[in-house]
Amino acid sequence: MVASDLAQYVATGLLVGGVYALMSIGLALIFGVMRVVNFAQGDFMMLGMYLTYYYAVAGHVDPLLGALLTIPPFFVLGLLVHRLFLARVTGGGDPNREMDAQLILTLGLSLVITNATTMILTPMPRGINAPYATKAFVAGPLLLNQARSYAFLMALLLAAAVYVLLTRTDLGKALRAAADDPEAAGYQGIDVRTMHGMAFGIGIALVAAAGGLLATYHPIEPNVAVNFIVLMFVAVVLGGLGSVPGAFVGGIVIGLVQSLTLLLLPLQLQNVGVFVTFLVVLYVRPQGLFGRRVRAV
Amino acid sequence: MICLARSLALTLVLVLLAPMVAVPVAVAAEDVKIALVAPLSGRWARQGQLKKMGAEMAIEEINSQGGIKALGGAKIVLREADAGDSVEKAVSAAQRVLTREKISAGIGSWLSSFTLGVTEVAERLQVPWLTLSYADSITERGFKYTFQSSPVSSAQAEQALDLVVELAKRNNRQIRKAAVVGDNTAATVFFFKPLREKLLAAKGIELVVDEVWTPPLADATSIVQKIRATQPDLVFYGATNFPDSIQVLQKVKEFGLKIHIQGVGAWLVTPEYVKTVGKELLDNIQTVVAAHPVKGQEELVKKFVQRTGEPFMTQDPLCTYAHVWLIKEAIEQAKSADPKAIRDALAKIDLTTGPAATSLAPGRIRFDERGRRIAAVPLIVQWQNGEPFTVVPQSLATRPVVWHK
Repeated sequence: MVASDLAQYVATGLLVGGVYALMSIGLALIFGVMRVVNFAQGDFMMLGMYLTYYYAVAGHVDPLLGALLTIPPFFVLGLLVHRLFLARVTGGGDPNREMDAQLILTLGLSLVITNATTMILTPMPRGINAPYATKAFVAGPLLLNQARSYAFLMALLLAAAVYVLLTRTDLGKALRAAADDPEAAGYQGIDVRTMHGMAFGIGIALVAAAGGLLATYHPIEPNVAVNFIVLMFVAVVLGGLGSVPGAFVGGIVIGLVQSLTLLLLPLQLQNVGVFVTFLVVLYVRPQGLFGRRVRAV
Repeated sequence: MICLARSLALTLVLVLLAPMVAVPVAVAAEDVKIALVAPLSGRWARQGQLKKMGAEMAIEEINSQGGIKALGGAKIVLREADAGDSVEKAVSAAQRVLTREKISAGIGSWLSSFTLGVTEVAERLQVPWLTLSYADSITERGFKYTFQSSPVSSAQAEQALDLVVELAKRNNRQIRKAAVVGDNTAATVFFFKPLREKLLAAKGIELVVDEVWTPPLADATSIVQKIRATQPDLVFYGATNFPDSIQVLQKVKEFGLKIHIQGVGAWLVTPEYVKTVGKELLDNIQTVVAAHPVKGQEELVKKFVQRTGEPFMTQDPLCTYAHVWLIKEAIEQAKSADPKAIRDALAKIDLTTGPAATSLAPGRIRFDERGRRIAAVPLIVQWQNGEPFTVVPQSLATRPVVWHK
């Protein structure tokens, strides 16, 4: 193994991990604020991929721009899904019973979205065939896939924007307050239910954008979510349940571990490295890398 | 009084006899139900969809031509069940469809891993089952109700290697180094195994890359890096999951590699490849398949294209089309829709004419005692200008083969 090969494995891991990171922060935000485990997160990502595809095919919109353009409609969709469904099983009542209802609801949503997409759009895979999907930036001995590089940079920008939103704006402070202590937040005049809706809307918009970025190099099909949903959950738990920076780092770590595992194990065992890392981190630090004993975003 | 008693007796006799007269007519008109267990959701749903198209086309043809003549024109109806994306779901679907009502015969389930499970259910319930799946083990279990129409993976590997080496020779190339790259689904495993263990070595070919993964593949960089470093003359390629396959092909283009790709299976010649990676990237890539439209089937393809809107016909609809016709022929010979009678007819069948025989090379359908089709030969299909054509064997080819530049 020469240094250039190692560098290529690291670079590939970072690029893959960047998009995992963006996928995961939406899930972490939703869990952090609402305490909802959203099993349908991957399906919203899949819908984001389709919307980016139709932007590209029908409107000749570059998929990188298309990924950004998924944010407004999916934010609204998130608000609607929250208002119509999730608001009925969050924000009051017996927490255990609510948790059951939330799990069933999000799992049901996932099944409905996947199967409705299969019925309406057919199972035929689609692809954008972006020219940069098969081109690479050459940096010395390294080849960096252009589509993955652009996706990585945009994922960084979007993650930074979310960080600024959460730490520098009134909305962000209100979201964090609703996450930290919903009751006290209510006493301070923060409408916790609205904050839940905002968190869900932002979480869905982020994963749709991640889907859009993914669509620049990954085929789109109704069941694409199953390839990513487990990794999203691993990233979120690894980073610390509900921690947005933690989920980001968790996503990057997964990408790196997936890539570097190949130095030690055959390709067939690529994800073994991910799950071993996951178990080790949870053994050493049960609250995850960035987790606190109490929830926070 | 006697008159009344006679009338009553006559009526009773007529009532008792009536069903005996009427039954054959009722049976003759009864639909014959065929099950199709294929992935209609999940990551292999597209293949299930294509299979269904082939089955529906054959059924429409048979029914519009008067149905099954031996059963008084009985119509065939399809009962489809979704095999989903796991063996457990496939087995459960088979169990459901075969126990809900009387099914005369079944077809499925595309992925060899699924077929292994589904045929166990069919064997237990004694329903004859036709499959296009390749894995050797499907017909190595002593089952009596399983009929495998495709050449098995290990035979395909041997025949494909012979064909490719011969092709290379004809084009003044020599194959010294080869790579095997693919997932660990059953058909691919059985194809790669003999290549690794004996076939490549027997031809003096060195195996320089051996990379196998469990779908889904996270990233193809490491695989293509190894191919770039070792420069094999030929890459045997078995990525049944579409996104995995696309990742590898995109990476090959990104790294600017000029390699000869020999696929393993019909998943590599579906229309969506053109839309996703463009026809230039696909040009000259070839794959070994169990069936593909051959010379003389132009009308069938035209009809399929018109009917479905698909740009061309491939193995999955073609095989299922042939299977439905084959079941129809077996029922004609058995003169019964009983599963056991159909099984016996399939075991004895020797078909050289009709839509089933012409769809499965070399044009004759007979099964050995294991349920394997005797003398089944694979075809090599090659992408040329955005469309896959049969190029080997020459007698059935629709286009001449082009060796990778």
